[in-house]
Amino acid sequence: MVKVLLKFSDKVTDQPITSQVIKEKGVTINILSAHVDQQGGEMLIEIPEDEAEGVIEAFRSKGVKVELRRLIEVNKEKCFDCGGCISLCPVNVITYDAEYSVVFDEEKCLGSTCALCIDACPVRAIELIT
Amino acid sequence: MPTSELRTIDEINEKIRKGEAVVVTAEEMIKIVESRGIKVAAKEIDVVTTGTLGAMCSSGAIINLGHSDPPIKINKAWINDVEVSHPGAAVDLYIGATQMSETKPFEYGGGHVIEDLIKGEEVELRATAYGTDCYPRTRLETLLTKNDLNQFYLLNFRNCYQRYECATNSRDEVIYTYMGKLLPHFGNATFSGAGELSPLTNDPNYETIGIGTRIFLGGSQGYVIGEGTQHNPRNQFGTIMVRGDGKKMSPEFIHGASFTNYGTTLYVGIGFPIPILNEGLAKKTSICDDDIFTEVVDYGVPRRDRPTLRKVSYKELKSGKIDINNKEVKVSSLSSLKGAKKIAKTLKSWIDDSKFFLTAPIERLPTDTVFKPMKLLSAMPFVESIIHPAMTCKEDEKVKSVAEKIIHHSINHVVVVNDEGKLKGIVTSWDITKAVAEGKKDLTDIITRRVFVTTPDEPVEVASRKLAQHNISALPVVNQEKKVVGIITAEDISKLFKR
Repeated sequence: MVKVLLKFSDKVTDQPITSQVIKEKGVTINILSAHVDQQGGEMLIEIPEDEAEGVIEAFRSKGVKVELRRLIEVNKEKCFDCGGCISLCPVNVITYDAEYSVVFDEEKCLGSTCALCIDACPVRAIELIT
Repeated sequence: MPTSELRTIDEINEKIRKGEAVVVTAEEMIKIVESRGIKVAAKEIDVVTTGTLGAMCSSGAIINLGHSDPPIKINKAWINDVEVSHPGAAVDLYIGATQMSETKPFEYGGGHVIEDLIKGEEVELRATAYGTDCYPRTRLETLLTKNDLNQFYLLNFRNCYQRYECATNSRDEVIYTYMGKLLPHFGNATFSGAGELSPLTNDPNYETIGIGTRIFLGGSQGYVIGEGTQHNPRNQFGTIMVRGDGKKMSPEFIHGASFTNYGTTLYVGIGFPIPILNEGLAKKTSICDDDIFTEVVDYGVPRRDRPTLRKVSYKELKSGKIDINNKEVKVSSLSSLKGAKKIAKTLKSWIDDSKFFLTAPIERLPTDTVFKPMKLLSAMPFVESIIHPAMTCKEDEKVKSVAEKIIHHSINHVVVVNDEGKLKGIVTSWDITKAVAEGKKDLTDIITRRVFVTTPDEPVEVASRKLAQHNISALPVVNQEKKVVGIITAEDISKLFKR
């Protein structure tokens, strides 16, 4: 599965774009999280790997900005492994390893559509990549 | 002294000097006692090391600047825009960890100033004074590093809690506390303290700890200078007051920190060496997480005595999940367990390398002090003392009829209820004005559905904060069944405080 972040501007929120793409391409899309209103917003989706190129193209042609990238940046210089962020993550991205170091499985992260951990870090070591 | 004394501090120090002392961490001690028994462990082990690296708000540093020419008797001072207090004479300043920057509040504070100084960074000092015949100077600005200071001592009046509560939140909104960010409806929980590695947990009767105990403090050697404020031994909430040389500390074990919407603080690394003077201490230092308990407390209730939900072991806390009201809740530590292990190991290596020697306390920490609540002169007012009946309406009413109620009773808020009297929403005179302007006739189009409420037993102070936080002017009062029993307005509150 490929994870992509869709950015909707206020100009396209009145269109049923996601439904259109699903119907056109006949694919199943897994919506991990979504935060879209009339002013625009973001949606994080997962697409099957072999369909990814077509789906991304379809979203782009309808005026949606599509981004494939890491969603958070963890500053390991600042982090001192307190673990305060762990219980806030709804998708178990953050765990301890065997040495009680705090580790991030960034593949699973929901990024700016979640962001629950960001302001919980006492040394501000987690940043959203915008 | 207990009857079956195995060794004295002096004998241990002699062994340390020769490099012969047997030192293990509190974690290792558990395994040794498990496999070989308390008697053997007590006989073989000389010292058990402990550690914790947690947020400790009652921390700070005392610094002495030396005198300027002409000299100044500082009245007010700031370091990197953080106000620092002047507890002593002309140029002694105390940097409190929770004091926040005036330009970057909630992000930078006294804790960060202390960390920056320890790192060797340059900080900016500003000071003002009223001027005297002997101290004529009234203004001062300079840049300083720790090397420019005469003294730079970490001086913390309450650190190293024996154990601490596990915090969770019953409210329907996120709250930001000194126990971190707590999600609504018991969405998560947080705890602090290293459990079986925690210093005071390993000597719960303070046999070896008191004034003069040499400890690991912030990466250097420091001292216990007495019991900490709010020391509460009968409840296993003992604390210590500590002092250590900031110039020798390491930024690995001291971190300035920001808790969103709460403020700034300081993470402090502390470790005790516990001399195994008798078998009792061997047993105590072998305590494991299964046998260390604390309470899960609802921080959603903003009162001094918050409701306790259940008892929980550190074993369960460290598993990452606890059960609250039959719901699995993720729980995380706010203090660094990795840091705690590192501290216990570092202290062990210092003793192994004959760099750290033990001291006997001149006076042990007290075991009988009581932690009293604050004495207040007036009783705290509750919502029930200012509650009055709410004007209510049903969802199917027309805007016009609600408008008439508002005018007839000269009020600003009408509470929408169902047939059972349960809260469904609220309508204000502003909503009505807007409805008229937009030509809306049905109440359902203008009802505010997400309503902030209060209860009769809530302190007025708490209700007042809700009004201010959400920028609203009234709160429906509901009982436990969510039935509306009245309303309070900002006006009621200002009248109360004017009395």
